[in-house]
Amino acid sequence: MDATARLIELLGVDRVRTEPIDRMVYAKDSGVTAGEPAIVVLPETTAEVAAVVRIAAAFDMPIVARGAGTGLAGGAVACPGALLVVLTRMNQIVMVDEVGRTALVGPGLINLDLSHALVGRNLHFAPDPSSQQASTIGGNAATNAGGPHCLAEGSTVAHVLGVEVVSADGEILMLGGAAPDPPGYDLRGLMVGSEGTLGIVTQLLVRLTENPPQTVTMLIAFDDINDAARTGSDIIGAGLVPAALEMMDHEMIVAIENFVSAGLPVEADAVLLAEVVGHADGVAEEAGVIRSIAVRNRATDVRVASDEDERALLWKGRKSAFGAIAQAAPDYYLNDTVVPRTRFVDVLGEIYAIADRYGIRLMNVFHAGDGNLHPLVSYDASQPGMTDIVVEAAHEMVCVAVAAGGTLSGEHGIGLEKRDLMDQVFTDVDLDAQARISQAFDPARRMNPGKVLPDGARCFDRPSS
Amino acid sequence: MFRSAELVTALRSVTRELFERLRDETVDADAAYVVAPASIEEAAAVLAAAADAGIPTTFRGGGNRRQTGAPAAADLIVTTTRLASIIDWRPDDLTVIVGAGLPVDDLESEIAERSQTAVLPETAAGSTIGGVLAAGASGYRRLRYGPTRDRVLQVRMATGYGKVVTGGSPVVKSSTGYGMARLVTGSLGSLGLIGEVTLKLWSRPLAVSTVRVDDAAAAYRRTYRPLAVLETPDGASLYLGGSANQVAAQAVAIGGRASPNLAWPEPITDPVRVEMRVPAACVEEAIRWVQRIGATRWIAQHGVGIVSAGIDALDVAGVGAARAWAESVSGALVVLAGADDRIDPWGTPPPSIEIQRRIKAAFDPAGICNPSILPGRL
Repeated sequence: MDATARLIELLGVDRVRTEPIDRMVYAKDSGVTAGEPAIVVLPETTAEVAAVVRIAAAFDMPIVARGAGTGLAGGAVACPGALLVVLTRMNQIVMVDEVGRTALVGPGLINLDLSHALVGRNLHFAPDPSSQQASTIGGNAATNAGGPHCLAEGSTVAHVLGVEVVSADGEILMLGGAAPDPPGYDLRGLMVGSEGTLGIVTQLLVRLTENPPQTVTMLIAFDDINDAARTGSDIIGAGLVPAALEMMDHEMIVAIENFVSAGLPVEADAVLLAEVVGHADGVAEEAGVIRSIAVRNRATDVRVASDEDERALLWKGRKSAFGAIAQAAPDYYLNDTVVPRTRFVDVLGEIYAIADRYGIRLMNVFHAGDGNLHPLVSYDASQPGMTDIVVEAAHEMVCVAVAAGGTLSGEHGIGLEKRDLMDQVFTDVDLDAQARISQAFDPARRMNPGKVLPDGARCFDRPSS
Repeated sequence: MFRSAELVTALRSVTRELFERLRDETVDADAAYVVAPASIEEAAAVLAAAADAGIPTTFRGGGNRRQTGAPAAADLIVTTTRLASIIDWRPDDLTVIVGAGLPVDDLESEIAERSQTAVLPETAAGSTIGGVLAAGASGYRRLRYGPTRDRVLQVRMATGYGKVVTGGSPVVKSSTGYGMARLVTGSLGSLGLIGEVTLKLWSRPLAVSTVRVDDAAAAYRRTYRPLAVLETPDGASLYLGGSANQVAAQAVAIGGRASPNLAWPEPITDPVRVEMRVPAACVEEAIRWVQRIGATRWIAQHGVGIVSAGIDALDVAGVGAARAWAESVSGALVVLAGADDRIDPWGTPPPSIEIQRRIKAAFDPAGICNPSILPGRL
């Protein structure tokens, strides 16, 4: 019996896909890389995932796990000959513990569906990537996804208490859990952000966050983007960590406004979207400090969302950014890089200069509070050579960020996209240490091979003597 | 164990020279040799030599936690006393890079000048940052700010195979490679020596308050994001932080007796110390268990799930029963000090023990770094 037959025996013919059309459907994520899997399977239980992994091992097939495919770095793009394990059917909310403030969920659960299910219980799931209407919590964990509100709440890793994992040899393991500081190494903390290279997460115990009693959302407009950037730096420098601090440049504002009419000031050179949450008295004071810092930095308008509808509309504008740019050009390349918050203004200037030099159209929407830049290039991929030019410019932008003391990715991950840039931030010895971790989890290198670490990362691969 | 003379002859002359040069005479210890490297590169050279000669090695910061995990005796102690400076504090970025040997109190008092905090353990007299990280220890304020692990952005370490490795990223948010900084935090020196760390900082709240309450769990449910909720045999307190108006309003709403400072309980220093780590919803039951095993002093962290306790003498059967309960709710009972042959410091090893063993072997192939300190005697 071949692998396909064994998988059909396990899952039934409906959940094993090998037709060219199926393989094509699952060949891409939302980024610029692609690769067709050999077989696509749709398991529904942990036991099925474990059996699938054992079959893959028996036939020496590489395994790639995938959620909704909203990733931008190619982490869920199949490598040649891969068995693609699509986890979207494992989307249950198994348990919600309101006292302990946790939920046990399947990896295929869509991020926003969890918070929707919690309405009325005064709890929510804090990580809120812009893709949250479509991306899965398993995928959020794989990339250690962020989102506007991870400025104060931390990235996904701070909200995943435990993971059930199918290891590379098909064993089912629980890593971490509801109790704090479990003895032994923090394998949970390694699994989050490992982009499917250490095992397949089949269930997650996530931390739920209490809804704030009060929220103030402010939209601050500027005539000069440098004033906006400086305001962002000054707010953090003043010791405030707002719940969110987002920035959009003029091009982005216009694109969003044409798309969703969120009431953004189209004449502004840049806007900051700041949100403070908490106890009513504290929120009012913090909002006041932000307003005075903005005014000192020549803000032209400070608008406070007067009700929940207006607040929702402002956020809808921000989170529609990547849909909005589709009207500018058919394709886009969204970059993700982080700089120290104090270097924000300089690096932004350099990034605009790179775009000018390459003659490409740049829009910016980013997490100003934590220095996470998202320069976004809209272009037409059907023009010969255009994608290569855009990717080259994007790499240059990443190098500028790294030179300023930053890093490659803040929340999208490395995947295929930035794998060969890893030597910009890590030495051969550092990469070798990371390869040791991957080897400890997956000695046969079966799980999502070729992602995150460049080939040959294991440079000290020799028996200890 | 080697005797001193044997150990010295076991070393090649060039190594002996290195060890002599780095020798630290100030530490009184049973070990044959104590060295204090002045750089991570020197620490890596020491570990390369120790691995080569198969010398069991341990690491020492403030020495407060040296009983954790009941490590096997070591012939070589590597201290961090010469890796003890603030290397780069960037207040406007809310980050700091420090040497691992820097005492927690020194860092906190320095950065308090700009009203910042690293949210490290509050009552850590003499503890170093490296020691706190190696132990994976957090302060009481983790209820509000999360555990220490979440603020360790980057680590530079000397591995058990004698290389200097950087893990993590120097910025507050990253998804760039494996979470090495998270792995190293809590690894108890079993992978090598933590030499330098980059920490994420928070601003201190403008106002704070400690409010005595009768029912800690009920007060916690009614209060938005306190810094900590602690209960001891002397009673329970909520610790508040925020703007002056907010803290005042919250204190009034809770209704207890308030004082305008953070009055942390005295740390537990009994010779036998245990820690229950259970889901937050099980804290009250964990308190009953530590009382049952004869705890004279205990500190319970509501909302977190940790109950630390000091006991006069190790009651093996009682601790065993309490541990069995803790493990039945997917928690643990850890004997932090005073463990002996009759009771394992950690309890039942985690189901991932085989992967843990492979990670240990990958970073410490010669098995010299704090041998047997981990669960499962790894």
